[in-house]
Amino acid sequence: MEFNLENPLTNLHHFNDSLFLVESDHMISEDYLKTLKTRDFDFCLRREALSSILEISCNFDPFLSYLAANYLDRFLSSQEMPQPKPWMLRLLAISCISLAAKMTKTEFNLTDFQGRGDGGLIFDTQTIQRMEYLILGALKWRMRSITPFSFLCFFISLFQLNEPPSIIQAVKARATEIIFRAQNDIKLLEFKPSIVSASALLSASHELFPLQFTNFKNAIFNCSYVNKENMLQCYNVILQQEMVMDIGYDDESEIDTLSSSDTPVNVLDRRFLSSSESDKTNGATITTTDTSTTAATTTWLSPPNPNPNPPPPPPQQPERDSKRRKIATGYCNNHRIQLSQTQQQC
Amino acid sequence: MEKYEKLEKVGEGTYGKVYKAKDRASGKLVALKKTRLEMDEEGIPPTALREVSLLQLLSQSLYVVRLLCVEHVDSSSSLKSTNDSSSKSNLYLVFEYLDTDLKKFIDSHRKGVNPRPLPPSLIQSFLYQLCKGVAHCHSHGVLHRDLKPQNLLLDKDKGLLKIADLGLGRAFTVPLKSYTHEIVTLWYRAPEVLLGSTHYSPAVDIWSVGCIFAEMVRRQALFPGDSEFQQLLHIFRLLGTPTEKEWPGVTSLRDWHVYPLWEPQNLARAVPSLGPDGVDLLSSMLKYNPADRISAKAAMDHPYFDSLDKSQY
Repeated sequence: MEFNLENPLTNLHHFNDSLFLVESDHMISEDYLKTLKTRDFDFCLRREALSSILEISCNFDPFLSYLAANYLDRFLSSQEMPQPKPWMLRLLAISCISLAAKMTKTEFNLTDFQGRGDGGLIFDTQTIQRMEYLILGALKWRMRSITPFSFLCFFISLFQLNEPPSIIQAVKARATEIIFRAQNDIKLLEFKPSIVSASALLSASHELFPLQFTNFKNAIFNCSYVNKENMLQCYNVILQQEMVMDIGYDDESEIDTLSSSDTPVNVLDRRFLSSSESDKTNGATITTTDTSTTAATTTWLSPPNPNPNPPPPPPQQPERDSKRRKIATGYCNNHRIQLSQTQQQC
Repeated sequence: MEKYEKLEKVGEGTYGKVYKAKDRASGKLVALKKTRLEMDEEGIPPTALREVSLLQLLSQSLYVVRLLCVEHVDSSSSLKSTNDSSSKSNLYLVFEYLDTDLKKFIDSHRKGVNPRPLPPSLIQSFLYQLCKGVAHCHSHGVLHRDLKPQNLLLDKDKGLLKIADLGLGRAFTVPLKSYTHEIVTLWYRAPEVLLGSTHYSPAVDIWSVGCIFAEMVRRQALFPGDSEFQQLLHIFRLLGTPTEKEWPGVTSLRDWHVYPLWEPQNLARAVPSLGPDGVDLLSSMLKYNPADRISAKAAMDHPYFDSLDKSQY
């Protein structure tokens, strides 16, 4: 009965076509997407709540964080939050995580999520429960989110890879990374989960099996559920995103200009990245990244920036970026382990 | 809950009371199903959360009663003492309202002013919709486990059949007695369940579908047992006492005893008005060995439905 992102239904054996028919129910609204793209205030609000989720749930399975963030997006999409106080965002984040933990049957205690760098801000059970019901109502109890992960096995089966399972797993693992990262990029929020899934796999196969890329592409294009045009658009956005990544890794001087497009650096350090970016939105510039936990969390109770157009982020120093990546990878080591565990399933 | 005007209690579902109510804003009729939630130290009980969200996903099918919304009512807020630790809260599941069910419909054809058989084309249509709904549930990994005519709601005007009382089965387990201590009917229960098998498969629902199929034809229940033992005897008398040969492992099931050895009877005689294709489908739904029983999806392709215009479903 527990909810598994790769298999939102409880049927373990067969992919169910009906996912394609209902996936739109699990997307954010076009209006909200427009708001995110045009209003800095909403953009920052989302990012703050998102980084709050990633920060609180860092010690759990990354799929749990992903699911909580999915609830968050869909909640924000359905509700106006004109002037939320920082504690409201915190409560929202905790409640999304709590719901995600219950859905995935993750053992937890509400106290696990509290008192972590929030300056002693503790919510009682009833307050959290009330928020949980508010979220459930807004999401119409559609808590078995259909996400790009739900389609991975289906699209992989279309590829008919005559490769050893380890290679299939490598493609899937790479696509999984891309999908995790896609959640942060608002340019990708407009695409259907199945389209993001197919594009991520295509991008992964482009990297890992360039010779078979055309076959893969044709296999996906032949799938009647896939809109070619959307798929190409989405694929290009992902490709751009990945290019940014590559450049970031190969030549760190380039990342400064490109990272200002708010593209997160890596799924494994997205938690860290987003929290340090929220520092920026609060006007605080924290340059010591060695003590990752304190740096990421000290600003939680500071008032949100009253200026809806925050000043452009200060240019980042290349050393800082590389240092950050190193620390964050180490900090969330368990995420990497769990990722490799989840890859055994297809 | 002020949004709804409770009109009358229409039933005691297995898990709580069911009310007919009117949505004050739209004037539409709804069925309100009240489920009591135990207070949990961690907020919403996880099982309720998972069950209801699954129900939400399943109710997208035309052949499953649609869950319109879920309302939470915290009764502790109305209590004077706020530190009452035994305070309960209720979850109201708001479903679309249908005015009749298959049990009432069959009853109206058996007794009353104008007793008459159900038209064969209607039986065919209802059975097809039932198979489709069950196939939908099974493809989502969900077993109903308590299919019976009372749980199949009908829209008489549109000729639609919809499966109800679904999804809460797992968290609350199928009880022998409902919370009102009404005896839960055993008539549609598969032999493996009656014999104490702990492993349930989708085949348990197919057995029920077979019993319901026969009941539509006969206008009375096929196996009307009043205890688990009597229920088994009813089945064995018609279909013969199962043997290890046709159902390997049957004699090792927990509640297996030595039963009188009955020979199988001709099933067609139990459903005299049903043609050979119908009898064939029925017998493949009532196979003893759960592994041999037809699946809901395969049943939809059975020759019995060849004369049905499937495009309208």
